[in-house]
Amino acid sequence: MAPPLTLDPTLPHLCAALLAMVFLAGAWQKLRDVAALVMAIEQYRLLPAPLAAVAAWALVAGEVLAGVLLLPLATRQLGVVMAEVVLLVVTAAVAINLLRGRRAIDCGCGGPEGGQHLSWALVLRNGFLGLAALVVACAPTARELVWLDRLTVLVGALALYGVYVAANQLMTNHPRLLKLKG
Amino acid sequence: MTDALVVSNLLLWVVVLALLIAVFALARQIGILYERVAPMGALMIDSGPKVGDAAPRLDVPSLHGGTVAIGASGERSQLLFFLSPTCPVCKKLLPILQSIATAEASWLRLVFASDGEASEHAEFARRVGIESFPYLLSTELGMSFRIGKLPYAVLLDEHGRVRAKGLVNSREQLESLFTAKEMNVASVQAFIGGNAEQGIQS
Repeated sequence: MAPPLTLDPTLPHLCAALLAMVFLAGAWQKLRDVAALVMAIEQYRLLPAPLAAVAAWALVAGEVLAGVLLLPLATRQLGVVMAEVVLLVVTAAVAINLLRGRRAIDCGCGGPEGGQHLSWALVLRNGFLGLAALVVACAPTARELVWLDRLTVLVGALALYGVYVAANQLMTNHPRLLKLKG
Repeated sequence: MTDALVVSNLLLWVVVLALLIAVFALARQIGILYERVAPMGALMIDSGPKVGDAAPRLDVPSLHGGTVAIGASGERSQLLFFLSPTCPVCKKLLPILQSIATAEASWLRLVFASDGEASEHAEFARRVGIESFPYLLSTELGMSFRIGKLPYAVLLDEHGRVRAKGLVNSREQLESLFTAKEMNVASVQAFIGGNAEQGIQS
């Protein structure tokens, strides 16, 4: 039996694969409609308007960089730092606007049709992603990985990504439900 | 024993992924339902020609050639859609507008309107594939209808009278313009407001 508080090597691999998927898919969705992202960033009212376009491209670049760096073992630690930076910046932007009471603005997260509003659930979601990034940074115990481990990493990351996408959709739905209830 | 665990593990992954796809699909469907049933009418901004009044009479050249007569009597009603290349909601509504224009072609003519640099708008129209519709660039047109916010739609009947108008952000709000025309009320808000008043009186 493994002693407590040690990490099986599949876990960091799994979290790295999950985060890479989240960041790369997020960047791709934002790239499909950069104009909408720029408008969303303007709505955050944290930057002077001319800087919104710069911030949009910087965010996309940061996400791509984090996603790509997380994949190979050699650059993974760098990827973790990049991921945490991106998560911290966007979560801070969301939290500031939540504290200002500006909830009903597009979060600019991309997504199927956009329109996801700000909420503390979004902050919690990013908190979980930040935790996953910390797991990636942990040194696991040594164990020989067999083919089943590879499968666990791949399918497990896919499954968690499915949970992430479903959670986003439910967060998008929530304000619409509240509006219906009146 | 190990084989049995491996097999059960694989089988469970398949089930987990299938269930997740189902959960996501359900959440999407619920989201679409919420959006569709939301009781929203196109918001009417009360300035410019009133519903029932004759629209200002203007002849505006189209970007793609020809001239469009606004406010003239004709065979078909006109749906004026005021947009801008930099407005994401306008872009989102374009496919919906195109499908409405095709389905209602027998009585309705879709006309896009904006103002600004012709080359920029020509490039935009080509990029989003709306070159088959008249596209008017006229500051005078926007001024005469007092267009303040985009996307704004104005429905003119075949006699050139304003039948419905409002700020539109969704398919439902666009359709509410047609409903308003059919029911002969100024806007869906006016209709709901009118019913509420009647309810108080009776």
